[in-house]
Amino acid sequence: MQLTGLPLQQLLLAGGLAAAFTVALYILKMRRRAVAVPFAPLWRRVLKDQDATSLFSQLKRLLSLLLQLALLTLLLLALGDPRPAAALLEGRSVVVLLDASASMQATDAAPTRLDAAREKVRGLARGLSGADRMLIAQMDAVVTPLSTLTGEVSDLEAALTQVRPTDTRADFPRALRFAADTLRGASKPEIIVVSDGALGPAHDALGDVHLGDIKLSAIRVGERGKNVAISNFSVRRYPLDKSRYEVMLEVTNTHDEPTEVELSLLGDGDLVDVTRLKLAPRERLPRFYPNLSGASRTLEARLRNADGSRDDLPADDRAFALLPERRRVRVQCVTRGNTYLEAALLLDEYLDVTTVDPARYPAAGSFDVTIFDGAPPRYAENSGAALYLDPSGDGSPFKTGKELSDYGFDGWEKKHPLVRWLVLDAIGVARGRELLAEEGDKVVAWSDDGGKKRPILLSGRRDGHRVVGLGFDPRESDIVLRIAWPLLLLNTINDFVEEDARYLSSFRTGDVWKIPAPTGATALQVEGPDGLSREVPVHDGRAVMLGQRAGFYKATAGGVDFHFAANLSDVGESTIAPAPEIKVDSRAAGEVAGFTVGVRRELWIYLLAAAVLISTIEWLTYHRRLTV
Amino acid sequence: MGLLDRFRRKKAVQRSRADAELFDDEFQRKLDYLAIVSRKVFAGRMRAERKTKKSGSGIEFVDHRDYVPGDDLRYLDWNVYQRFGRLQVRLFEEEEDLAVYILVDTSTSMRFGDGEKLRHAKKVAAALSYVALANLDRVAVLGVGEKLTDSMAPARGKERIFRVFQFLRGLETEGMTDLKVALRSFAARNKRRGMAVLISDLYDPAGFEEGINVLRYNRFEPLVIHINNRAEAKPTLLGDVLLYDCETGEEREVTVTARLLEKYRMAYEEYRREVELFCASKQVPYFEADVSVPFEDLVLRIFRRGGFLR
Repeated sequence: MQLTGLPLQQLLLAGGLAAAFTVALYILKMRRRAVAVPFAPLWRRVLKDQDATSLFSQLKRLLSLLLQLALLTLLLLALGDPRPAAALLEGRSVVVLLDASASMQATDAAPTRLDAAREKVRGLARGLSGADRMLIAQMDAVVTPLSTLTGEVSDLEAALTQVRPTDTRADFPRALRFAADTLRGASKPEIIVVSDGALGPAHDALGDVHLGDIKLSAIRVGERGKNVAISNFSVRRYPLDKSRYEVMLEVTNTHDEPTEVELSLLGDGDLVDVTRLKLAPRERLPRFYPNLSGASRTLEARLRNADGSRDDLPADDRAFALLPERRRVRVQCVTRGNTYLEAALLLDEYLDVTTVDPARYPAAGSFDVTIFDGAPPRYAENSGAALYLDPSGDGSPFKTGKELSDYGFDGWEKKHPLVRWLVLDAIGVARGRELLAEEGDKVVAWSDDGGKKRPILLSGRRDGHRVVGLGFDPRESDIVLRIAWPLLLLNTINDFVEEDARYLSSFRTGDVWKIPAPTGATALQVEGPDGLSREVPVHDGRAVMLGQRAGFYKATAGGVDFHFAANLSDVGESTIAPAPEIKVDSRAAGEVAGFTVGVRRELWIYLLAAAVLISTIEWLTYHRRLTV
Repeated sequence: MGLLDRFRRKKAVQRSRADAELFDDEFQRKLDYLAIVSRKVFAGRMRAERKTKKSGSGIEFVDHRDYVPGDDLRYLDWNVYQRFGRLQVRLFEEEEDLAVYILVDTSTSMRFGDGEKLRHAKKVAAALSYVALANLDRVAVLGVGEKLTDSMAPARGKERIFRVFQFLRGLETEGMTDLKVALRSFAARNKRRGMAVLISDLYDPAGFEEGINVLRYNRFEPLVIHINNRAEAKPTLLGDVLLYDCETGEEREVTVTARLLEKYRMAYEEYRREVELFCASKQVPYFEADVSVPFEDLVLRIFRRGGFLR
């Protein structure tokens, strides 16, 4: 037994002084309150019996003194914080990785796997012994340490209350690396993974995770894996008829038994379609809903068993998508007359086109997009984003380079919004110019000129507004005769007003989201489906955040609101059958041992409890006049 | 003037005001029609409303006795002489006054607490005096403590009641209780026997019996009115205290518990019963006068029930 609190010398000194003071108080008779009585002989009669027991009374007073001294001794010992010698030996250092991924929301372990895991970790914390130290970290798309490496059970239990489920997959390799870094140099290091085992391999871009001498243990939660998930859900508007849209979704049976489910599709909260689906074991069944209309904002898919019951993981039984808001785009065409241009713009009924002669530019009013056909006048306010066709002269924001002739599109950024869905390689151009890219400009398409890339389609920013330049007059090429021409125009306009018809209409949880922000915004206030709000900084016109919850989000910047959706869409997470074992570095995790809930090592708590008990006894005996 | 002096003066003012209100008009009217009923008839020097065994100038025939020379020939019963040939003298009752001694305990214990016992004793004494005076008895009021402390000369006639009131108002408590010494002194000074009403709490360290016996042995007719304050049986004490006797100053360290208080209450009751039993065994009329019982009730009901008043 060793003292880890006050040293023995100080304890003896304090104890001696306190004991002397206590004894002195008992020896010195305190002055009693004088009370007059009318007839003392009556009291003599009563006290006659008391005198006979005076010896016993003295003994009782002595007992009271002994109780006080015992109380004092216990308090002093508590100050000394005595601990068994065994408890002072080097203890274990434990990092608990508590899986909070989507699969841990499964309800096969009541109420959820995560709650069951939380209880198991609580048992581990209470079973810490000796000089053991523990750190609890939440493992999902990121790793979040919830406590320090501590032996205080109360701190660890408080950390457990902060664990929240997420709709993401767990980044197991990252969590292992974090734990290994934390335990580097610590005594008796151990990693305990509390999970259902749906973690994937311990391998990432940095390679395999090596734990070295660190002991790996695992506690598995979960019993079965009966689950059907909406594994994909997308919606897009038709490029040329944005009042209509099509939906693609995929339903996956992650279980080994066939099942029948009911799939509901809701637009703006109203039921659009209900379908019964029979799924074979492990079947992934895609469904396509073409040519839909009606919903203007939100789409939601819901899944439930055909008998009306829910499967073990409700988190993947709902999927969300958001349709881009439709509004008329005001387009100003600065041209001396271009039939091909005007005809292409007629294809979209949501365009409000104003044609103006360059000499009369700018037209009255404010515009979202201005298309300059040929040598442009100087850019005027309220013109919005600008598309320059064959720009030249003083008003052009692009510098031109080499004159080109008889060339074509030899390469382009296929995923760039301007040229998405376009086939450009067969287009021939009679005459044109190379556009010189400035810093920040994006070369979207180019032509090879003897092995050198000559940009012919550029995207960038000038004086705070977006610009796109096409390095030739469309009429000098056969592009105007192809479908690519109106698509290029509409893609450009959509990209300017950030109302594109992207195939993916929702984000995927666990990914880093790049949310388009309104022009000029430096931060977005994002309110999630759980009602929590947070500020997300904007970089290069995009707010970057890690999304962890599925559902509809509301973003606000500069008084402008817009919405977006997020879905789990992860078959790996939806496959909730508990894994038989967890392997890291070709080593299987062992069983957890050595966490027995028993006697605490801090004896001062028991000493204090004994002191309180004795004090209570003293109080009771005093007030019942047993020790006075 | 210190705070304590101010407090004392305030208490004194309250006390004198309470003494002044001891005997109000209403109280006197209630007593007007009460008279003392004496179980014995005493000889008196003046004619009064009591009958004595002494034959005299009364009109109510009582008995005969043999003639002895010197007897008044007017009282010879010639009818008896004619029938039996013996000279018999007729005896008549003579109504005489009664000597009533009111002995009020003025020891310190009578002032214990808020002095309610002394005020009660004064009221009882005043009532008895008034009734006795109204019936033409001779009344003397005396204060007794460790000795005969003060006395009012015997008075007769209803108009003397104010003198009694004045005397009672002037009675103050002091000293210990020693009934034996005080009553011996009383008996020695008052040769005329009569009713001796002892109004006391009977807290005599030497024993109350001695004092009552002194009255009995000196052929007074003792009557005990035990002034009692039941609140004294339940003192509000608890914990470690130093008890001291308000008369003797005797001290005692005591740890008062609820059980001890109960024992004290029982001892108090036992003491009261002892007094009652003693009086009963000696055929001394005993009345308990608790201060919590309204004074009017005590006089008009308890005394009448006990045969003291008619």
